[in-house]
Amino acid sequence: MNGFLDALREKVLLFDGGMGSMLIAVGLTDGEAPEEWSIKRPDVLLDIHTKYLEAGADVIQTNTFGATSIKLAASCRDGAPDTAALNVRAAEIARQALGEFIAGSRFLAGDIGPTGEFFPPMGTLSVDAARNAFREQAAALERGGVDLFLIETMYDISEAVEAIRAVREVSDKPIVCELTMERKKKGYFTIMGDSPEKAAEILVAEGAAVIGANCSLTSGEMIDLAGEMRSLTDAPLLFQPNAGKPEMAGGKAIYRQDPEEFADDLMKMVEAGANAVGGCCGTTPDFIRATRARLDRM
Amino acid sequence: MKEHLGSCRQAIIDGDAEKSEELAKLTLEKGMPVLEVIDRGFVEGIREVGRLWEEGELFLPELVIGADAMKKAMAVLRPALESVEGGQDRLGHVVIGTIEGDIHDIGKTLVATMLAANGFEVTDLGADVPVAKFVETAAEKGADWIAISALLTTTMPGQKRVIERLEAKSLRGDVKVMVGGAPCSEEWASEIGADGYAGDAVAAVALVKGQTG
Repeated sequence: MNGFLDALREKVLLFDGGMGSMLIAVGLTDGEAPEEWSIKRPDVLLDIHTKYLEAGADVIQTNTFGATSIKLAASCRDGAPDTAALNVRAAEIARQALGEFIAGSRFLAGDIGPTGEFFPPMGTLSVDAARNAFREQAAALERGGVDLFLIETMYDISEAVEAIRAVREVSDKPIVCELTMERKKKGYFTIMGDSPEKAAEILVAEGAAVIGANCSLTSGEMIDLAGEMRSLTDAPLLFQPNAGKPEMAGGKAIYRQDPEEFADDLMKMVEAGANAVGGCCGTTPDFIRATRARLDRM
Repeated sequence: MKEHLGSCRQAIIDGDAEKSEELAKLTLEKGMPVLEVIDRGFVEGIREVGRLWEEGELFLPELVIGADAMKKAMAVLRPALESVEGGQDRLGHVVIGTIEGDIHDIGKTLVATMLAANGFEVTDLGADVPVAKFVETAAEKGADWIAISALLTTTMPGQKRVIERLEAKSLRGDVKVMVGGAPCSEEWASEIGADGYAGDAVAAVALVKGQTG
């Protein structure tokens, strides 16, 4: 059995929070891909992972959200680094941070985000190209020693399916898959029109051990989605909302949401049936610490 | 005629590119008034697609398919439109792109597609577009609007720099500027002195229509 899935059966697990906004706070500039910092500034990443672990996160995510070869080619201005090496390195740094903590009680999730390209008719991405890119990334993350895979912020269920299948080709580790949804008049949907019903049916059938949603929505907006997804599936559920909507002040982004309020909302998701919670854009170790305190009081 | 307009409208709503092209050709063959067929037929269709998208009844694939059908029809009708009295003047030119440092393409492409579908001339510069490129292209094309997308709070200041550069080059009076993208807002648009903010592709079309020509 896998330690992560065992732990998930025993208690509500806490995932970490935002990475991009943390990197911006310490100097990530325009035109720099966050993933490049695994090579340029491993010390900074080690520090961020450690801060999340100290705040009480049970699961931390590698800094590899945009680390498929397809996305890296678009996001790295000065030439993309070697995809496999970058993913292995990112996993190693996170693994090093985990080394300080008790083995088997904290877990490392290999983070996989969308390629940024679209299948037809929206774009020209082919199923093979997507599968190959995800396989390359997943194989490197596996080599780097992750405990599970976290496929997240997926807006097209077809692309999520390719990522799941690619991971399955190179690893037996558990797969968590989160879609990113907006709230429309008729309910929650991805921009492609994929519904929670479709997510529950397809992602689980494809072999995701845990499904859920992240990004796009604030914590308050995501509470009802947790209840809705609970009514649709027996699969464990993970939710990672944003820290409110960003506001601009003096040329800098400010997320005004209070960590305590965010943590209260996450607890409402747990009451609604979430088995794991965490944060997305704008969340920091303070948000995770506030949530940890509430989970420990449960 | 009324029936023809209804068919044109419906072909766009159905996202039927082949049918849309056929109907556009029929319009020319039968010598029907081109402007009226566009305005009360095809444009009504794409407007309905946009409305249904805003309502959450349709999603991105349907919107793109509808816009593609619209483009097919417009490609047939545009040459005829240019010889029509008043036809040429109605069409504005929009230079659009995602600002430098930002590779988010979806929203921008959608706005470009909808503008083109509504008959505007569109120069799409893609993503990660340098400030100077927006300004140079707009000057070169004699554009009426520059539309700048920014999806990151770190890249939003680039929108302001485009406006500053237009001012420095004394071009600000010639071209209007609209901003869009998740972190942008009306407040941000007015703070940086833009002419408008569009929250989505439908709003962008309305904005350009309201203030061009």
